[in-house]
Amino acid sequence: MANMIMASTRTLAPAAPSLSTTPKPKLSMSQITLPKLPTPKITKHQLLKLSTSTLKSLSLVAATSLTLAPPSLSVEMEKAALFDFNLTLPIIVAEFLFLMVALDKIYYTPVGKFMDERDAAIRAKLSDVKDTSGEVKQLEEQAAAVMKAARAEIAAALSKMKKETQEEVEQKLAEGRKKVEAELQEALASLELQKEETLKALDSQIAALSQEIVKKVLPTV
Amino acid sequence: MKLCYINTLKGLYDISGVEVGQHFYWKIGGFQVHAQVIITSWVVIAILLGSAIIAIRNPQTIPTDSQNFFEYVLEFIRDVSKTQIGEEYGPWVPFIGTLFLFIFVSNWSGALLPWKIIQLPHGELAAPTNDINTTVALALLTSVAYFYAGLSKKGLGYFGKYIQPTPILLPINILEDFTKPLSLSFRLFGNILADELVVLVLVSLVPSVVPIPVMLLGLFTSGIQALIFATLAAAYIGESMDGSSLTSFRNSLFLV
Repeated sequence: MANMIMASTRTLAPAAPSLSTTPKPKLSMSQITLPKLPTPKITKHQLLKLSTSTLKSLSLVAATSLTLAPPSLSVEMEKAALFDFNLTLPIIVAEFLFLMVALDKIYYTPVGKFMDERDAAIRAKLSDVKDTSGEVKQLEEQAAAVMKAARAEIAAALSKMKKETQEEVEQKLAEGRKKVEAELQEALASLELQKEETLKALDSQIAALSQEIVKKVLPTV
Repeated sequence: MKLCYINTLKGLYDISGVEVGQHFYWKIGGFQVHAQVIITSWVVIAILLGSAIIAIRNPQTIPTDSQNFFEYVLEFIRDVSKTQIGEEYGPWVPFIGTLFLFIFVSNWSGALLPWKIIQLPHGELAAPTNDINTTVALALLTSVAYFYAGLSKKGLGYFGKYIQPTPILLPINILEDFTKPLSLSFRLFGNILADELVVLVLVSLVPSVVPIPVMLLGLFTSGIQALIFATLAAAYIGESMDGSSLTSFRNSLFLV
């Protein structure tokens, strides 16, 4: 309770003078006033039932307010206005429009532009990547062509080498054959010669032998 | 003695009754202004502009964390505008986005920023959106926006929508132009005010732990309310631009 009193004295003190300086129409069409002061009408019936000490003090205040009616307090209590339209409304409109323009200048337009540009750049890069896949294909084809050429070259070299070696081998073979043939010819010629010699020798021997045979067979001739 | 009783009464009132409809008045050229709303809206605007400037002062191709967040928010706003307005959503992104961001940051500032530290002579600082002036201002701007959208797209033929299904519906169609800002503003105003009141009453009754779930719920509903306001504004603009009726969609959101 002591706290309440202390707090209330603090809040009430500055409020009272400001109210006396600015008196306002209490009731108008745009104002809905909230009844805050327990007015004398309700207190007489209700307070009979209530028994707490605070409410007793309330009733005392109400009773005194019947007779003495502190003007400042009653003015303040009735002033509570929920639907109190005034110059605040156009000021808020102006503030909002200012905020809209300012945010558009520093936020929506630059950031939106930045985001769109980045989007476009990413798209461009993506399509670039698609293009490089074509390039890769081209490079692959080139590589395949190079490989093919290399293979063909190798094959050609191989066949050429094969041919050369074959020729060499054939040449050597032919040489060898010729040599063998020549040797054979030589050998055959020498054999013939020997045969003739042997035959000649045999002829001379045959005459001597036949004479001897005749001598032996015909001793008395 | 008497003053003491009056103070007691005032103290009781301060504790039991949270301050509803109490305003801190400034006078500008003979007109009165709710100073607490103006102050908090300045703070909200400062938060929005400051964070945007800091996060996007040097945009990177590979975004940093804060830049990434702001890009996400922008994509979200663009998505909302695009689904409601259609392909020509581009010029409306600033309006829809600012509606969403201003309401969202306002609502959350009421729940998260320690406004109560700053004592005002009268009234108290709270979310700007719990003042009817703010919500009506935003709703009227939305009305102007969708009228502008319709008129700039179709010229005077825009008014043909009033007799669109049948001329019998003319009164209802005219009425709709009044119910749209009314429902927009009162939905936001009521939700935020009620949310702050519930939290305040619970805090005054049970100081610890118990109000926390309600506070979290309040954060959730504040976000939803910001999204609903922005989405509905975009839907109204889209509706007046292409003329197709979005009534079923709107009715589904009316319930929230």
